[in-house]
Amino acid sequence: MSEDEIRQEEAVISEAKKDPKAFGVLYEKYFDRIYFYLLRQTDNEELAGDLCAQTFVNALNNLKRYELRGVPFSAWLYKIASNEVNKHFRKNKGKKVFSIEEVRIKELVAQSDDSWDEELIQRLIEFMKDLPLDMLQVLELRFYEDRDFKEIAYILDITESGAKMRTYRALDKLRKNFKLKVKYDG
Amino acid sequence: MGRNEIRLRRQRTTARGIDRFRNYNTVLQRYEQTQRLKKVVKVFGFFVVILIVIMIIIFLSRWENSSERTNSLETSKVVVATAHEKVTM
Repeated sequence: MSEDEIRQEEAVISEAKKDPKAFGVLYEKYFDRIYFYLLRQTDNEELAGDLCAQTFVNALNNLKRYELRGVPFSAWLYKIASNEVNKHFRKNKGKKVFSIEEVRIKELVAQSDDSWDEELIQRLIEFMKDLPLDMLQVLELRFYEDRDFKEIAYILDITESGAKMRTYRALDKLRKNFKLKVKYDG
Repeated sequence: MGRNEIRLRRQRTTARGIDRFRNYNTVLQRYEQTQRLKKVVKVFGFFVVILIVIMIIIFLSRWENSSERTNSLETSKVVVATAHEKVTM
């Protein structure tokens, strides 16, 4: 995000603090990202839609308390969305779901040959099933949501070095188990 | 059974699919509802606080009256007893 974009966003936020209608611009800008983030964690379009609306309602309710803390506004929205999902699964005593698009798995792993087959995908899914939840969360935010480590740390309430460590550990595990090249900028 | 539930989606959600849920007016309505509810809770809380203060004042004034009454009763008893002693002397 460029300096100019950040400044524009800040102007919209301060305007929205006075008039909630002004928040519509940010709603349109971030709706898709937040919706897909929620869809990946629920695998239910209706539920993701409802939680997405609740995320933006909560954002509006707490907008006056929002302060710029060196992370983009979208990180704040991700944090609210993440809390909403956790609240939902706690309330309904359900198990958190990670729904992944096949295309995105292929994007995450740069396969050296053309042996992408059903078996490899199934093995990857089985592998991910046994990954600790914290590792899965950082992988999701890093590779599916393109968040940087500072943002991941803010969203998950951990330190930046903690976020890096979890990501690298998860990637090392992936490499060891599958002998794949994993796209990451280190 | 692993620790996490991982599901694979073969198809991407289309833009039309997402648009079903994109409605800022609904968000605004829900926001206004919560704001109204917050106001009602605030007003209710305010009345409860006032009610508690009034009850405390009433309790204190009653307690003060009753303690004054017992004090004056004791004083009058002492006066009567002194007068009685004087008479018997």
